[in-house]
Amino acid sequence: MSELFVELFSEEIPAKLQINARNELKKNIKNFFIENQIKFNENFNVYSTPNRLVLHVDKIPNEIKLSSEEIRGPNVNAPEKALEGFIRSNNTMLEKIFKKNTGKGEFYFFKKESRKIKVSDLLEKNLSEILAKIAWNKSMKWANYDLYWGRPLKSILAIFNKKPLNFVFNHINSSNKTFIDKSIEEGIKIFKDFNSYSKFFRQKGILIDQDLRKKIINNKINEIINKKNLEIKQNDSLIDEIVNIVEKPVVIVCDFDKKFLNVPSEILITTMQTHQKYLPTFDKKNNLTNNFFVVSDIKDIKGFVKLGNERVIEARLSDAEFFWEKNKTQNLVKQVDKLKNINYFKGLGSYFDKIQRMRKLSSLISDDFLISKDKIEIASSICKVDLMSDLVGEFPELQGIVGGHFAKFQGFDKEVCLAVSEQYLPNGMESKLPKKMYSVALSLSDKLDSLVGFFGINLKPTSSKDPYAIRRMAISLVRLIVENETKIKLKDLIVYTCSVYRDQGYEFDTKKIQNELSDFIIERFKNYLKEKKIRQDIIESSTFLLGLDDLLKAYKKSLCLNKNIKKEIGFETIAAYKRSSNILNTEEKISIESLGFADPGLFKNDYEKKLYKKINDIRKYFLSTGKDENYEESLKILSSIKNEINDFFDNVIVNDEDIIIKKNRLELLNMLCKTFDNYLNFTKINA
Amino acid sequence: MVSKIKKKTLSFQDTIFNLQKYWSKKGCVILQPYDLEVGAGTFHPATTLRSLGPKPWKTAYVQPSRRPTDGRYGDNPNRLQHYYQFQVLIKPSPKEIKKMYLNSLSSIGINHEEHDIRFVEDDWESPTLGAAGLGWEVWCDGMEVTQFTYFQQMAGVECKPVSVEITYGLERLCMFIQNKKSVFDLIWNDEGITYKDVFHQSEKEFSAYNFEYANTDNLFKIFEMLEEETKLLVEKKVSLPAYDQCLKCSHVFNILDARGVISVAQRAEYIARIRELTKSIGKVWIESQS
Repeated sequence: MSELFVELFSEEIPAKLQINARNELKKNIKNFFIENQIKFNENFNVYSTPNRLVLHVDKIPNEIKLSSEEIRGPNVNAPEKALEGFIRSNNTMLEKIFKKNTGKGEFYFFKKESRKIKVSDLLEKNLSEILAKIAWNKSMKWANYDLYWGRPLKSILAIFNKKPLNFVFNHINSSNKTFIDKSIEEGIKIFKDFNSYSKFFRQKGILIDQDLRKKIINNKINEIINKKNLEIKQNDSLIDEIVNIVEKPVVIVCDFDKKFLNVPSEILITTMQTHQKYLPTFDKKNNLTNNFFVVSDIKDIKGFVKLGNERVIEARLSDAEFFWEKNKTQNLVKQVDKLKNINYFKGLGSYFDKIQRMRKLSSLISDDFLISKDKIEIASSICKVDLMSDLVGEFPELQGIVGGHFAKFQGFDKEVCLAVSEQYLPNGMESKLPKKMYSVALSLSDKLDSLVGFFGINLKPTSSKDPYAIRRMAISLVRLIVENETKIKLKDLIVYTCSVYRDQGYEFDTKKIQNELSDFIIERFKNYLKEKKIRQDIIESSTFLLGLDDLLKAYKKSLCLNKNIKKEIGFETIAAYKRSSNILNTEEKISIESLGFADPGLFKNDYEKKLYKKINDIRKYFLSTGKDENYEESLKILSSIKNEINDFFDNVIVNDEDIIIKKNRLELLNMLCKTFDNYLNFTKINA
Repeated sequence: MVSKIKKKTLSFQDTIFNLQKYWSKKGCVILQPYDLEVGAGTFHPATTLRSLGPKPWKTAYVQPSRRPTDGRYGDNPNRLQHYYQFQVLIKPSPKEIKKMYLNSLSSIGINHEEHDIRFVEDDWESPTLGAAGLGWEVWCDGMEVTQFTYFQQMAGVECKPVSVEITYGLERLCMFIQNKKSVFDLIWNDEGITYKDVFHQSEKEFSAYNFEYANTDNLFKIFEMLEEETKLLVEKKVSLPAYDQCLKCSHVFNILDARGVISVAQRAEYIARIRELTKSIGKVWIESQS
């Protein structure tokens, strides 16, 4: 049993590309072993540092045995040249060739004896192709070479069973050597196996294993925060990035001047995390502190690293503080007019036009939400002013949040400030969802305005392209409605939005927008249900009868059915419906003019009467339950028809000789199905 | 937090001298700044045009760079509408370029064994040049001091061979070396002249020009004239004069942008127009190279 050990040494590969390359390499090498039926340790690892991509697979046999096989050659009638070629390519001679009839004609054959193949030979032959198969999300060329790689590839070390594997990958010859120093790329060392390799680097403080680096960084940080009574916020994507931009992590605690804590914390946090890849810390009351972590790639022997990073953050925070002090006193209301100079989108007017529309929309929504019209109109008017501030120029990702802080500083109502701050939320499936009704109203009107506008100028997303993230907008809209249980009439709102655009002189094809946008939102809604792990057949059924105005209902019903479908109340409901609808479907050909109800006077027995009574009871239930319908209760009531329906089918023959009686029985079953439609249309549910 | 390390501080001009000497020894043609207003060292024809076509090329030069929108009337310690870049361009990109770069830092007193030098992903794109590249921004103890880019495309044409471009932000670098919080406190030479002495008035006046006084009606007209001139010169197949006119277009556009008279939609349109010019010039240049 042997190990395969490969190291690809390159210039610094960005974190995300590294992760992607590790996965690709892992997948490709696994496929290679499986396709060639070579045993290997399936729990093998691919490691990386910014400069080294390392593959280590062990428990590989040195040889594999290929069983004998008959290889078919050319047809016996083919030109002589074909046979010669066949002999040559199989490295054999004429004496060993035999003829055989296959049913499709007579062919030449050659019997390849069972033989042993060295795995190292196979690897040498295939590694180049395996490497070439790595699909980079983004790759580049350099110098005169034709190779595409994440960043310039400098050398390849490849070992099998302690011996070098020799192959050529584009312009690079593999060997058993690599560079010791990633910076100067001096000092070359020969390695025989992975163990000595990782030990060697470990002694230099370099950790090849990303998981180990992560552990060490986390341990060190935890040790410090425990000692200093601090907290950090879980931020996996930042930690994963940090882990993959260092090879010998050194955690350094730095601090900045406490005076900067007067600046809104989001600004400080964004500066630290996004711009500098620092980890901010918090006290036990969840307030930001002036301590932060830097993960250096070098031991800070002379203190330069700490000093330098503190200077950088100082400069950046001074900038932010300067802008904050300048912008916070600039009167929001007085600036609204200036939004006329800022284009919202070509064909959709300025931001001033947009907030006028949002004001009308949110004002209409405020009626449904029972919130103050004045307040939501104020929030709409000032919500985009921050786009003109220096701070949003510097921190575009903080639009809205910064505006919320300005509003707070200038003494606006608390709910208005929060609404401004949360106007862009949620931003997709995972993002935080606003809960306060003012925030929901403002966010809804922003998204509706954008959706109608983009559909109006025909910039709908296509199957492959969605440059304005319109899908995400629609998903967010769905979440706002469903997760906040808001009862708004989306259809009416879309119509109203169109009319607001029209008032501003935009000539949209209203009918077309309504249809297309409805379909689009329903599609997003279905995706949303899918994300919630709801069965596909339930998703289809729930949107069959329930439209755009009933997203919340459709969501709740499908959630409830999804939960109960395997339980008695779900199972019996569907069984009753299916038995009835199946008969109706087979009898469809007769094409009865349905009256919509059965005539009790035509009933011949108690089974019919009882079923009829039960159906009417259920109808009464659905008539009496209104907004407060308990969907589980509804399912329970539907399923309670079990006895009546079973008795009916056990004792009554629908297909009576008398066509009138038969028709009446079909009407009875039709009544049942129609009554069940009060929950949702069960036709598409797979029993 | 102030460092007490006492050694002779490398002045702004000595930093330039050292870099020039270093890259001269590496075989670069040391050029002087291009005599037109440009937004970055990349716009110098010694980079844009020379990075196109098959001929090898090595150069290094200082380029004054103008970014009208970044002006702050000399009030902000970190922002200037006019600053210096030190630019290196080598085609094809040499194998040991990282080593060469790190050694260049040593030549101006930054030892990579004492500082946390980091190559942080930063892919570069210039819409007006129709250019794109992959590379990094180089951080020194958390401060961005250099842009390091492998050109993949220039003037809409795939680069073959690929050039590597190294752009040092000289003020940033010197603020790091001299441990200054304000760019205006930088020591320019050993006689005690500061950056403020040399450039403060200029920052103030040019900010006023860029933001307040530039005659936008005229500039719009000038843009049209320059565009027309560029097209004519492209037809005549003289790429270098054509490129000059295009650079002027680009600068006029930058001032209009700073004056805030170009809307978002218009902005994209102007950029596209300049890019079309650059592309047509690139074609003429490549033809002249074979």
